[in-house]
Amino acid sequence: MLRKRLTRENLNKWIDGLVASGLRVIAPVRERDGGRGARDGKGGLTLFRPITSSAEIAADYTKTDLPFKEWLFPPTEVILHYRIVDGEPVLEDPEVDATKTVALFLRPCDAAAIPILDSVFGGDYEDEFYMTRRRNLTVVGLSCTEPQPECFCAAVGLSPTSEAGSDILLTPVGDEFLVEVLTEKGEQLVNQYADLFADAGDLTKEQVTEQAIAKMLRKESLPTFAETYSELFEHPVWEEIARKCLGCGVCAYSCPTCHCYDIVDEATLFEGVRCRNWDCCGFALFTLHASGHNPRPTQAHRYRQRVLHKFAYFLQTYGRNMCVGCGRCVIKCPVGMDIYEVVKKVAQASERVGV
Amino acid sequence: MANEVRERNWEPKIVAFVCNWCTYVGADAAGTSRMQYAPNVRIIRFPCTGRIDPLFIIRAFQHGVDGVIVSGCHPGDCHYVSGNLLARRRWIVFRKLMDFLGLDLRRLHFAWVSATEGAKWAHLVNEIVEEVRQAGPAPTWAMPTNGATQIEASLPEIGPPPSPPPELTSQIREIAKQLLGTGEVGVVVGYEKATGAREGAATPTFVNKPEDADRLIFNEHCIHNLAVYLTNPLVKKFGKVGIVAKGCDIRSIVGLIQENQIKREDVSIIGVVCNGVVVNGRLADKCVACPVKVPHIYDHLVGDPSSVQTTASEHPLDAQIAYLESLSPEERWNFWMPQFARCIRCYACRAVCPLCYCQPCIAEKHRPQWIPTSPHPQGNLAWNIIRAWHLAGRCVGCGECTRVCPVGIRLDLLNRKLAIEVERAFNYRPGFDPSAPTPLSTHRPDDKEDFIR
Amino acid sequence: MVTVTATGMAMPRETVKVSRNIYKPYLMTIVDMRDETHDTRTLRLQFKDPEVAQTFDWKPGQFAQYSVFGVGECVFTIANSPTRKGYIECTFRQVGKVTSALRDMEIGQTIGFRGPYGNWFPVEEWEGKRLYFVGGGIGTVALRGVMQYCLDNRKLYDEILILNAARTVADLVYKSEMDEWAKVDGVTLVKAVDPGGETPDWDGKVGLAPNVFEELKPTPDNAILVTCGPPIMIRFMLLAAERLGFKPEQVYTTLENRMKCGLGKCGRCNVGPYYVCKDGPVFTAAQLAKLPKDF
Repeated sequence: MLRKRLTRENLNKWIDGLVASGLRVIAPVRERDGGRGARDGKGGLTLFRPITSSAEIAADYTKTDLPFKEWLFPPTEVILHYRIVDGEPVLEDPEVDATKTVALFLRPCDAAAIPILDSVFGGDYEDEFYMTRRRNLTVVGLSCTEPQPECFCAAVGLSPTSEAGSDILLTPVGDEFLVEVLTEKGEQLVNQYADLFADAGDLTKEQVTEQAIAKMLRKESLPTFAETYSELFEHPVWEEIARKCLGCGVCAYSCPTCHCYDIVDEATLFEGVRCRNWDCCGFALFTLHASGHNPRPTQAHRYRQRVLHKFAYFLQTYGRNMCVGCGRCVIKCPVGMDIYEVVKKVAQASERVGV
Repeated sequence: MANEVRERNWEPKIVAFVCNWCTYVGADAAGTSRMQYAPNVRIIRFPCTGRIDPLFIIRAFQHGVDGVIVSGCHPGDCHYVSGNLLARRRWIVFRKLMDFLGLDLRRLHFAWVSATEGAKWAHLVNEIVEEVRQAGPAPTWAMPTNGATQIEASLPEIGPPPSPPPELTSQIREIAKQLLGTGEVGVVVGYEKATGAREGAATPTFVNKPEDADRLIFNEHCIHNLAVYLTNPLVKKFGKVGIVAKGCDIRSIVGLIQENQIKREDVSIIGVVCNGVVVNGRLADKCVACPVKVPHIYDHLVGDPSSVQTTASEHPLDAQIAYLESLSPEERWNFWMPQFARCIRCYACRAVCPLCYCQPCIAEKHRPQWIPTSPHPQGNLAWNIIRAWHLAGRCVGCGECTRVCPVGIRLDLLNRKLAIEVERAFNYRPGFDPSAPTPLSTHRPDDKEDFIR
Repeated sequence: MVTVTATGMAMPRETVKVSRNIYKPYLMTIVDMRDETHDTRTLRLQFKDPEVAQTFDWKPGQFAQYSVFGVGECVFTIANSPTRKGYIECTFRQVGKVTSALRDMEIGQTIGFRGPYGNWFPVEEWEGKRLYFVGGGIGTVALRGVMQYCLDNRKLYDEILILNAARTVADLVYKSEMDEWAKVDGVTLVKAVDPGGETPDWDGKVGLAPNVFEELKPTPDNAILVTCGPPIMIRFMLLAAERLGFKPEQVYTTLENRMKCGLGKCGRCNVGPYYVCKDGPVFTAAQLAKLPKDF
């Protein structure tokens, strides 16, 4: 691993250099607010959007409203085109975004979500729609110094300065940045602008990490249920927890790792597309069979799926917890469902069951 | 396809939704009389104008038509007696919705054409084709490329309301204990203190046993509209429901009763005197001009009615609505299109709304798929228009949909605008009279039809 | 109207055509069809691309996603055995949007086919064993491919018993083929309908499938039981199998679940740590017992 240091001024120069070199540079940007004033807390949404200069990056950026995944796995994407020619369907492969991209300032939770999505969309059947974008992407992460009340990355095996998923990780130390160059892709980006970077010397992120974790309100490690879910499956705690869940899709859609999708056709008599759209296991129709049978008929069943998928099943299938502790679901939930509290409550229920 | 290349010799493409008994025959008469008129109109025949769902009009525009005509029997002549009178009510409101969204009203026309008025039909079509020709090709349902319109009028920033006195909390607890203890209700739906990351806020809770009633609280953070739980099977299974409700929430309960989703006797309303709730440290928009700070319908009243503070008279959203109305249709379109393009179809707006109780929702119907499910701008526009339309005359302005939208879409403006129009046209405000017919399920002989040719 | 644009994001500057699109189906022509019941039809399909027709292979028990372009995709088992190549068969019941559109199609028309997906019946492990196939209603469709395989490789297996059951005579599938199965040496065919489902000239058994099966006094020694049918029938079959002394590892079934991608990504058929489309649809009763009751 290469270790460098970067002043704030040189950081902006680097970013502007990347833009000038023709790369698409995506960074957190504050959008104008549609007239809602300060109702969104800061006035307008903060989203990952392409920038044309470092000055456009949102000041006081903590976390974006929507996660980075929309740049790898868009909310809607055409996966097949067809036309009817002489009464017969003629299939066409769509074009997929192959723009060389640098994504700036993903928080360690958001960056750690990327390897999680890689394991889903890669694998046996490589999803080229995702992987093309993935291969053309270099991630520059930004460590956290001010965890928010909803954050709990430390409780799920990460930390405010985790390297997972980043090609380069910047950590603010004093008024400079420690630059950890973690991959070849990262090296390429740094080497082109080598004169902006100095050697890190004895600059470390240990203190920053300690202080940030100390500020995190919810850092007590969360249990997982990979070994215990069978006994917990029919426990009444699920209905207690899920009664207030309204079954909307905000948690799944604001989650950096949730990836369930739907495939639908949209067509006229002459041509059509097959689209892949974000979907959510919390929706009542998600598992409804055409026969009318629904394996998850109540919100209790569906909310159980959400929790167990993240904290048990994914762990068994892919070897890692599917929650990165970003807390977006917690702040965006219309009724204040808090997955950190939920997991603790389920764990308590499992203790009472003697599991 | 329709929205792709606009040729130099563009001809307006117009769809006419007409009733079978009058206009269809009238149009046919025009034909058999060999009247010459513009060929730009395709006619779709319905049994009655009462069957014409604005959804069809939306789909027509979604598929790229440049103009729509809706025509049927004159009032009093409807083959089914009152279908056209109900339709007239719909059109009054729907027109305002489309205008507010930025549809050039030169593209949307309504008419009464009888079976003998072939000449009127021909004349009408010629006029309308010219108007649509003047208006040009309809805007495509995609992101505008020339930047989004911003609203240059602001919302009031009013400080937080006074905290409700602690007596409210103790009164609610007492009432809940009594209702549960006597078995009058099987569950009390109320608020409790949130824990975890949302410390300080309130969150919905369900109390089954009297001894758990001490969980219940009431404070200025109790923003949620709990009426949404009255149609929730996991709550209904307990039988009669006691519900802690502010005036705005009670208006939703009235709507549910009006529409036969719940019976008045199945709910025990614990009405709470409320001076307003807080969003991000300020008074919520819905509270600024609230007419129901003292609940108007309840089984138990909690709080002191004399403690309410005066309410502003102008609704906080009206300045922004007036601003949008002052713009050209194109500018309004350029406001709404980017708003809806952001929609990710999480359906939080639907999930949180007490009056969105349809099973299945129109968006979930797939034979045919009326509303595209994909979150592209066309699908999103169709969804949001239809939802606003389905709430016209029913939405009580509780503001929850706007609060929960993760991408901040200005649903509040749309719903408020329609509420204004319904009140103006029919002197009706939803959520006050459980026995009143809903505005679009009834009609009056003097419903204004100055826009109908 | 099919113009699809990105949601508020900048259009990409560079694009590349997808080269190995995992969602792209093969095109197949409907070459024949047969109605099994009033709402169930079998289609015989052939690949349009001769190279695919030559090389396509699958294992008994695997499924595919069949497309009606413009309407959607639907999952059905590949209903014929890989020992009978040159065509693909699927049997489906008309219940929803895609199956209704499929039922409207005519011989000569084109549909899409994505597959083969899923795991398969471990027929090599069954060699030398006695085989019991019990299908209930449309469940028999899921068994036909593997049954044909075993019949075509007759010498590899001991006695075979096929119980084709349904609610009524009209609901029995493969009525025209059943007698062919019975003609094979060492194969016993039993047909059964639920009480009340028989016609005056019915010559088969009357009773619920699990009861009929028990009355046949099957022996679990060196035997394999393969069963498929409505969820309630499977439940009672597993109980019956246990009563008869079958070990859970000897009992196989194939699960149905709502699916979309068929490849283990979209999450819809996720049951516990498994995806029915990838780790199934074939499961033993032992594996089923470990699955959370989420299907």
